Amino acid sequence: MTQLIINGLIAGSLAALIAGGLALVYGVLGVFNMALGQMALIGGYCTWWLHQIVGLSLPLSIIGGLTIAAFVSWIAFEIFINPFYKRHRFLPLVTTIALSMILDGLILLFFEEKPRAIMPGVRHSIEVFGARISIEQIVLISFTIMLMMVLAYVLHSTAFGRKVRAVVQHDHAAMSLGIRAPLLHRFLFIMSGVLAGLGGIYLGIDQNLTPVFAFPITIKAYAAIIAGGKGNIWGAIVCAYLIAILEQLVVGVHWFGSFYVPAGYQQTVALLFIILFLLFKPAGMFSTKTRSA
Amino acid sequence: MALLELKDLSLTIDEHKILQGISFDVEEGQIIGLIGPNGSGKTTLFNVISGFLKSSGGSITLGGEDISSLSPSLRAKRGIGRVFQNFGIFRDMTLEENILVALEALPKDQQKELGDLKEVVAGTLDMVGLSDSGKKKAGSLSGGQMRLLEIARTLKAGKGLFLLDEPTAGVSPKMTGQVADIIKELKRSGKTVLIIEHDLPFIGSICDEVVVLDVGKVVLQGTPAEVKESKELKEIYFGADPTT
Repeated sequence: MTQLIINGLIAGSLAALIAGGLALVYGVLGVFNMALGQMALIGGYCTWWLHQIVGLSLPLSIIGGLTIAAFVSWIAFEIFINPFYKRHRFLPLVTTIALSMILDGLILLFFEEKPRAIMPGVRHSIEVFGARISIEQIVLISFTIMLMMVLAYVLHSTAFGRKVRAVVQHDHAAMSLGIRAPLLHRFLFIMSGVLAGLGGIYLGIDQNLTPVFAFPITIKAYAAIIAGGKGNIWGAIVCAYLIAILEQLVVGVHWFGSFYVPAGYQQTVALLFIILFLLFKPAGMFSTKTRSA
Repeated sequence: MALLELKDLSLTIDEHKILQGISFDVEEGQIIGLIGPNGSGKTTLFNVISGFLKSSGGSITLGGEDISSLSPSLRAKRGIGRVFQNFGIFRDMTLEENILVALEALPKDQQKELGDLKEVVAGTLDMVGLSDSGKKKAGSLSGGQMRLLEIARTLKAGKGLFLLDEPTAGVSPKMTGQVADIIKELKRSGKTVLIIEHDLPFIGSICDEVVVLDVGKVVLQGTPAEVKESKELKEIYFGADPTT
């Protein structure tokens, strides 16, 4: 059981990075970015290429991968989001599906279908409460938690963070106070792409990168933000961990004697989350009651 | 020179003429009431003045500067403050944060003039009797309290022209009096205000002039007494009298 929970924390840290950024974008723009998984993979693959093929050091490769992820996000915003989202919030759903197909093609073209690991080789593991965890995984979980703490500080204790939250909650009121909401829209979209790219790098360090990961990454991120509540970044992060742990428990525990759920059904946990929350608690797990008048 | 000049302002969306040839001036220190039936274009006109909708023709001049092509945030920086019909507050932020974010959005020199921002926040909440609720989430307030918070925030952040869109809508009768007192205080301190309101006696008690809109056009303009007595106003609200 401990091993399953630790596995869930590892997978949850990856999902939390992606869902946290997506929650900000969904809260501000109200649009669906169906190419999020591909953006994550772009960050991972570019880091792999810089580290394994070009031969740069790991820190430089990560910086390079994140820079490319930021650039791809900016291009995606200018071409596939910005011209459409003000006309109708569902138009980017279609345009980003097109973007995901283009990025899928580019990933196959440049990186092929072979599994790619940013740090291939034997992992040094330690035992924690009877479960095995690698040093790399401890670093990745610690880094994610630290990043979330920095994000919490910026959002809640700085003038910039308050402006971001104001735009997320009522962008017209924010603009009427002189806050440049369109600039923040662009910035948050790029930040979401960078966090997704970081998720991709995380995946490439912990496991192998393959193009088929893109869609499950996107679905898990949406399950987390739907369950967490629209624009609720902390709700999304908690739900990302919750979904990842549940995924592990669903397939890892022998629930009724010898009966177990086949591993292939692991991905359905996120889809079930989406369906159940939309049916029974569409405002999300952490929605708070506020007066409408 | 008028503080705000609207000249032949028009707005067409999908071939529908929403606003047509709107022209009037707002002098500094004046309170102008904007009235008209639902769908006459009052809030749309506010959206055009504050930059959320781009006019199809005409010009908007604020303090002698043509602001027609500026973004909403740049118009706000020029001094246009806005109170929204549907409560423009940040519900998941505390009352203190709601005021603080407005002050932090001001240009640096104006922030320096204000001094310690935390003291300004405390003073602003005290002004509207909400000083005990500073740490509460704004979404937990009653409609009247939300409105007071929004007006107080707009007063601190805005400096030239205040656009108040139905400030007493969704507010209990008891709190309406408090909202009205703040608006009357604005008038006494010489602030320039454009206000949309359906309560005609209220409009009559605070406004220097009233502009009546119907189907996107200015159909009447004058002092509250002149507008109140006019036959056109009754026709707009109740239709033409069949006996005359």
